[in-house]
This record gives sequence, structure tokens and C-alpha cells, in this order.
Amino acid sequence: MDRKHRRLAATWISAVALAACSPGNEPAREAASGVDTAAGTAVQRPRSVGRGWPVPEWEGRLPRGWRLEPGGRGPSLPRGVVPDGVEPLERDIFTSDDFYVDRDLWMDPRYYRCLSAQALEAEASLQTEVSDPALAPWGYCAAGYPREHIVSPYPFKTAQEHYEALLAEAASYGGPTIPTRATLPEWDGRYTRNVLIRHVARTTGGPEPPPEFDEPPQWIMGPYTQIPTTLSLLTPEYQQRFVQLLYHEGNSRAPQWSGMFCRPEGFMRQWMEQGGPPMDITLTQDRMTILAKGTDNIIRVFHFNRQFKLDGSVPYLGEDVRSWYGESIGFWDGEALITWTSNIQGWMTHGSFENSDQLQTIEIFTPRRNANGELIGLDHETVFYDAEALVEPIRQVRFLSKSHELSEAPPYTYVRCNQTIFLVNGRGIPVAPGTVIEYKVEDLYGRPWAAVWEEWFEQDMQRPERKRLFGF
Amino acid sequence: MGRVVKSVRSWAALGAFMGLVTTAAPARAHHSLAMYDGTKVRVFTGVVTRISPGGSHVQILFAPLDEERQAVIRDEKGEPVIWTLELTGAAQAAREGITVKSFAEGTIFSAALHPLRSGDPGGSREGPMYKCPENTPPEPGKHCDSVAGSTMHGQGTLPTPTD
Repeated sequence: MDRKHRRLAATWISAVALAACSPGNEPAREAASGVDTAAGTAVQRPRSVGRGWPVPEWEGRLPRGWRLEPGGRGPSLPRGVVPDGVEPLERDIFTSDDFYVDRDLWMDPRYYRCLSAQALEAEASLQTEVSDPALAPWGYCAAGYPREHIVSPYPFKTAQEHYEALLAEAASYGGPTIPTRATLPEWDGRYTRNVLIRHVARTTGGPEPPPEFDEPPQWIMGPYTQIPTTLSLLTPEYQQRFVQLLYHEGNSRAPQWSGMFCRPEGFMRQWMEQGGPPMDITLTQDRMTILAKGTDNIIRVFHFNRQFKLDGSVPYLGEDVRSWYGESIGFWDGEALITWTSNIQGWMTHGSFENSDQLQTIEIFTPRRNANGELIGLDHETVFYDAEALVEPIRQVRFLSKSHELSEAPPYTYVRCNQTIFLVNGRGIPVAPGTVIEYKVEDLYGRPWAAVWEEWFEQDMQRPERKRLFGF
Repeated sequence: MGRVVKSVRSWAALGAFMGLVTTAAPARAHHSLAMYDGTKVRVFTGVVTRISPGGSHVQILFAPLDEERQAVIRDEKGEPVIWTLELTGAAQAAREGITVKSFAEGTIFSAALHPLRSGDPGGSREGPMYKCPENTPPEPGKHCDSVAGSTMHGQGTLPTPTD
């Protein structure tokens, strides 16, 4: 055990010991607002060191004149309309024959015609009546979700610092809380993504959800964010990877969504529009389990009162080997569940940026109650740390609405992806059983999507030379 | 459970259900639709040779009938030409009455599709499907929606072909 590990372990043991000695360690001791209600007394906590800081209000969503693409995938103007006062570039992502040589243009929103990543993807993948990339519409250049709302407001450089600070904070209030079976929070249930409810309301013209469902804009899905804003969060290598993905979606029209080829969906998929509803949450004294699914199964287990080993390439619980959803530990601070996830496989998410295998998250789940004090869902705050892909930590806050008790929810079923779409000449097309095709075996851990694009669509591009394997 | 919670949960449950429904719609498919030509619509009446009930997409393989609706179209070797038709996920398709049992091999049905850009014999379903009564193909040049006793699966009307 190294010094850092020993220190974390000591902090943990002290915290647990304190909690065991504390008479007021019931899970309902503290409300999410920071009001301590132990023994019937209300004690207002000061602002937490690392959770629950409000997301700044943003007034810029969907200005007049924007329209949602089918599927609600981000704003764009009618085809052929250039926003007032905007001078189009001579060469943009839809007309360029080599995005690598355009690097100086990448931070100019006009390079993407001011489309959000989702709108660009929708244009390429869903507006299938238009095959000429040059006809792509413009987005709205005057607005976009601000970078300062995306970056983490907390002062921590690593997930470990963040977790230790929250652990120490819990200890200072007599925690971490150790619930008994009888006092476990009543979170068991099926939850849905709030954004889906809003999507349905908007696309069907139905009423907006009640105020209890409010959540900040889901910037991470890309509908409101200018692409250069997202790029500014990324390191140069991951900027290039993101532009590569956007180019082959928007220009080559050769998108590769993981689900098309029964590839794993990846960790970040959980924050995307389709990533994971319904989500079944089950609590025991030792674990919180999330069962969710999209095209793939999402199974996450948060282990309480456990510690990561810190002698590997990243913190890990079992072995220093990455897994698709990583490994998670956590503790209770009153009713809040504070978790740390590490040992995550680097991967891609279509319409979004790649994560590296250095990705770690601090996720905080807090119950949201209505005026009667009844649980209506969970606020889910996530801070993403990825020193390889991100230039600084970023944050996403969402609300998971409780839709069913587990006893009344439709059954959860296992997803087995049945591949019907295969790569033929670099493009995914459905292939009937019995058909013989030429198939190149993928290197699953070698960015297989990029290998396909580079082979079929980048032959004449000036791609920066990679480190040579035999360059000695 | 209080009434307020019930109503809020009803909201969330509705959203969850509608989410599932809209998930199945093409605009929210789990994969890109770039491989299909959205400007073109072809309408076929054919015979099911295989149905694969995938969780993300049902795939129906079928042999199109000729204009006379008397025989399947064959290639130069005399083998039936087989097309693939991609539908929504199996659960959503089942809600439309499209299952392995109801569209078993030999079923005569009509559907519209957006064909593959590659020219390969396949496409993505557009609009409702119609199933003819057993062993009852339509009149020449017509589709199952014209046959008495046919059943409709999905909503709307059979689209008009573009060519």
C-alpha cells in the first residue's frame, strides 16, 4: 500500500469509526438541501466543498427562429438560409476534402455552419433525403451553451481529491452514514430520463412536465452547444478525434454508431439521450445496482464502504484492467450517495467526444422530494475527470424521474445485440443472413471506427504522422 | 403513496412509455440511417422467407412477387430474389401485431421501404404493413391493402412509390 493509499484508507477508517460512534447516523438525518434534521433539530450546513453547487441559469435556449430537427436533435435554420451577419467560410466541414489541413478553422463555429454536434449528426444520419453534404443547413451562430457552465465549478484537479474532500466533509458531520436494512433510503424503483419526458412533450405538443421535473440543459448530449465550445474542453489529440468523427458523419456520410455493429456502447453513453432508460435502481446495505439498457445492457454496481487500490495505472477495485462501465465505490452522507468510478475503458459515443481510459467520475445522487416530502426522483450530479482527453474537469447535472415501483414496472429484460448491419466498403449496411461478405476483423481496443474511416475515406488526407512503432 | 406522487409518477411513467415508443421511430433509431435513400420509396408485395426478431430491429427477409402477383421474382439462376426489410425493435413491432408467429414464413404482405443507397436489395420500412389472408395474394398490380380480410400493422396508409 503506498502512502496515498494509506492516507485514503486512514481517512476512510476514521470516517467510518466516527460514523459508528455517532448516534445520528440514520439515512434520513440530512436532507438534500443541506439541512440536518437529526434529533428534530434543523442545522443549516454551509455550502458543500464539492457537491450541489447550482448550475447557472441560461436564458439562451432555443431562440425564436430556431427549429428542432426531427428527434429534437438541436437547432438549425431552414436549409439554404445563412444567419444574418454571418460570412460563410470558403471551406467548411461539409465541403472540405481534408479536415486535418483545416485545423486552423476548427475553433471557428462557421466551420460547422454553427450546428451543434447533434444537429450535424441529425443532418447526416436522419435527414436521408439529402445526400449532398454541401447542402447542410446552418445553425444559429449567435448562441450556444457557455463553456463556463460546463466546466466543473469545484477546485479539485482529480477525482481522488474530490472524493476525499467529500469524505472528510461527511466525517466532519459525523458521517459517513451507515444505514441499516431498515433505514436504507427508499430509492428502489424504475427511473427514466427527464429529457425523454421533455422530448415527448415537445414533439407531441403535449403539456410541459411539472416544475418538479426541472433540470439544467443537458449540454452533454450536444443540442445546444457550439462545437468549438466542446473542442475547447478537449486536448489536441481528442480535438482531432472529435473533428474526425464529425467529418465522417457530416461529410463522408459514413457514421459508425456503436449499436450498429453490436460494439459496446461505452461508459459515456449513459449520459446521452438514448443511454439507459429505463433504469432500475436497487439498494442494499452494501451496494447500489443500476440496471439500464439501450442497444446494450448497462450494469453498474456501486460498492459501499470499499476502497480503491491506488497502485495501478488508475484507481481500481478488482484488477487494473479496464471495463466498460468501470468500478465504483461510494458512501452515504446523510441521504446523499457519493460515488467514485474509475477503471473505465476508453471509447467513443456517436455525436460526441471520445473518453480515454483515464476517465474517472464523481457522481452524487440525492433524492428530490415534492412539497409533501415524497420521493419523486434522484438528482444526479457528475463531475468527469479525464486528464488525457479533457483540459479540465467538466460537470453534468440531470434529474432521474422515478416512474415505477419495481413491483409494478414492466420486467427488465436482457439485451442481446443481434448484428444485422455490417461494414461493406467502409459503410454500414444491413446484410441478410447467408450473404457472404468480405469482413475485416476489428481491433476492438484500437479505435476500430477510426481504422475504418482512415482506410476508406482518408487515403488522400494529410493525417499527422503517428509515433512509429519501429522508429529506432 | 400520496396523490401528488401518483400523479407525478404517472407523468414519468407516461414519459417512459412514450420514450419507448419514440425510440422505435426512425428519427430516434439506435443506428444512423445514412445508408437509406430517404428520397425514394418503393412498395412491395412479397412472401416472408424469414423473420428475425432482434431487440433493436426486426429484420424480415422476403421474396417480392411479380406484377401479376402469381410468382416470386427470380434471378438469372432461377433463385428467388431476397430483400431485407428493417423494422423497429421486436417489442414495438409486437405492439403492431408483427411477430414471428403472425409473420411466419410464407406470409404474403405489403410494405413500403426506403431502399439502400448501395443498390443492394434492402430497405427501411416506411408506413404501415398489410398482411394478406393466408394464400391470398392481391390482384395484379395491387397490394394487400386491397384484399378483403387483410390486416393493417402500423398507422397511416401505404405510401405511394416514387418510381
